[in-house]
Amino acid sequence: MKKQEILKKIEEALTTTLEHNNFELTEKTTAEDVDGWESVTHMMIISELENTLSIKFKLMDLMNMNNVGDLMRIIEKEL
Amino acid sequence: MNLIEKLYNSLYTNTTSKAFYINEVFYTYKQLQQVVENIRYNIQQQINDSVKLIGLVTNNDLETYAAILALWFEGKGYVPLNSNNPIERNKHILELTDVIHIIDSSEHSNYSEYQVIKSKYLESITFTLKLPHVNLKDLAYVLFTSGSTGTPKGVPISFYNLNSFVTAIDKDSNFRIVNTDRCLQMFELTFDMSVVSYLLPLLEGACIYTIPQKAIKYFYVFKLIKEQKLTVLTLVASIIHYLKPYFEEINAPDVRFCSFAGGSLYTDIASQWSSCIPNCKIFNYYGPTETTIYSGYYPYNKHTHTKSHNGIISIGTPMGDLNYIIVDHRNNELPIGKTGELCISGGQVTSGYWKNETRNKTSFFIKMVDNRNQRFYKTGDLCYKDKDGNFMYIGRSDFQVKIRGFRVELAEIEHHAKTISKKVNIIALDVINKLGNAELALAIEGKPFDDTDMISYMKTKMPDYMIPTHIKYIEELPHNMNGKVDRKTLKTYFKLD
Repeated sequence: MKKQEILKKIEEALTTTLEHNNFELTEKTTAEDVDGWESVTHMMIISELENTLSIKFKLMDLMNMNNVGDLMRIIEKEL
Repeated sequence: MNLIEKLYNSLYTNTTSKAFYINEVFYTYKQLQQVVENIRYNIQQQINDSVKLIGLVTNNDLETYAAILALWFEGKGYVPLNSNNPIERNKHILELTDVIHIIDSSEHSNYSEYQVIKSKYLESITFTLKLPHVNLKDLAYVLFTSGSTGTPKGVPISFYNLNSFVTAIDKDSNFRIVNTDRCLQMFELTFDMSVVSYLLPLLEGACIYTIPQKAIKYFYVFKLIKEQKLTVLTLVASIIHYLKPYFEEINAPDVRFCSFAGGSLYTDIASQWSSCIPNCKIFNYYGPTETTIYSGYYPYNKHTHTKSHNGIISIGTPMGDLNYIIVDHRNNELPIGKTGELCISGGQVTSGYWKNETRNKTSFFIKMVDNRNQRFYKTGDLCYKDKDGNFMYIGRSDFQVKIRGFRVELAEIEHHAKTISKKVNIIALDVINKLGNAELALAIEGKPFDDTDMISYMKTKMPDYMIPTHIKYIEELPHNMNGKVDRKTLKTYFKLD
């Protein structure tokens, strides 16, 4: 999967969970930049991505994730 | 035990030890002491002795924790104001408590019409302030919880209440924090589990690890456990529900104590979690805010102590000088084995809701028990006492619903649904249909599955009227700020025709 496709999957997971798409994602985007992206919704986004991409993240990777770029890299690793 | 004196001594004797780890920076007791003194000096200069309650903006920084100590050393209490809450709600709370002074560590304070001590910008004083006499009747804090009428309900806790709590914990040889412990503090200061999370470590000279405001709480807790090798955890059960998919990656041999409170702890997940923390004692604490944090506990152990009812681990026995009784709706004491409302008396019980006489008349009563008149708080929790003297939690009395005239315990439905489906997060709800009747609904966290077998199984365990007629699958159950499942929001997911 190309970087752009991964980013698209993240966008979709965010839209489904947060029920809005008022955001523009880049590798530098953090949860703070997106309305409603906080601790509880983050867990929902992670589980949405695990389900739609049929992957299972590692807790070690999840705990060190700081922005969308990190998320893209750990998805790439699991695919 | 004199709580304030012990706290003061700890601050001035553990000087070189680490007190806090906040936003990935360590602070020693010496540094904490300096900030406490700076704030105390400003309180003495700016606030009259007779003023007993001060608003405290709850930021995640050293100044905010230091302000709590400074206020207590000056014999004053705090009213926490969470910046994430609507400002109108916070101002309403200030109005209710007649508070005009606020300690705020924010760069820009939102409280310009109040008298604000900007705790981040104080000059350092160079002399040591002595400890004055603190009147135990004065308040240590007032916490506000949502009230059924829409106006927040204030729970005042006095130094006497808090002292009784700390004395009870101190007497318990099963749980003892020492100055080398590394302790988690993951709660908002508006929630009383924060008090136990910072106070017990501070009393013993241990170090407190907080969660950055912007961090993803659940993963950051794990990061702290792993990287900082935490030894003492104080948690709500929802944390381990979120971490459950990753349990096999968690091995934390350094954790010595893990306390749960603030909601039901289930045997299945507790047993799995205890494998992640192999050298740890698990405590299932119970306690409403009204009885000062914890009022008792059950020492869970997956091999030796597994007492439970409907899969919910026992809440054990009361601590310290507290007394539990189970009563019927006329406040008559019920015998062993009979379910009724749990009522609590003793030194940790609040003097009553803040300026709320109507509520106080229904929530507190005086009763002769053990040959003395005792004042009891009605918890609204349904429990029974078993023959060994352990208390078993059944559910909230307001989770008892009437379906077609029958009394139904929602926790029982959840229990059977959980047993058969092996899912942890299932919530039973009573939802009102267009005709105004209550119907049973089941919210199941996770992906949809064929629920025919589950329903058939439930039909073998419960009468017809207890079988849910609506089932919804929800990716993640909604939680409120305190980490409890938000049943009110959950109900809105069911639109019945």
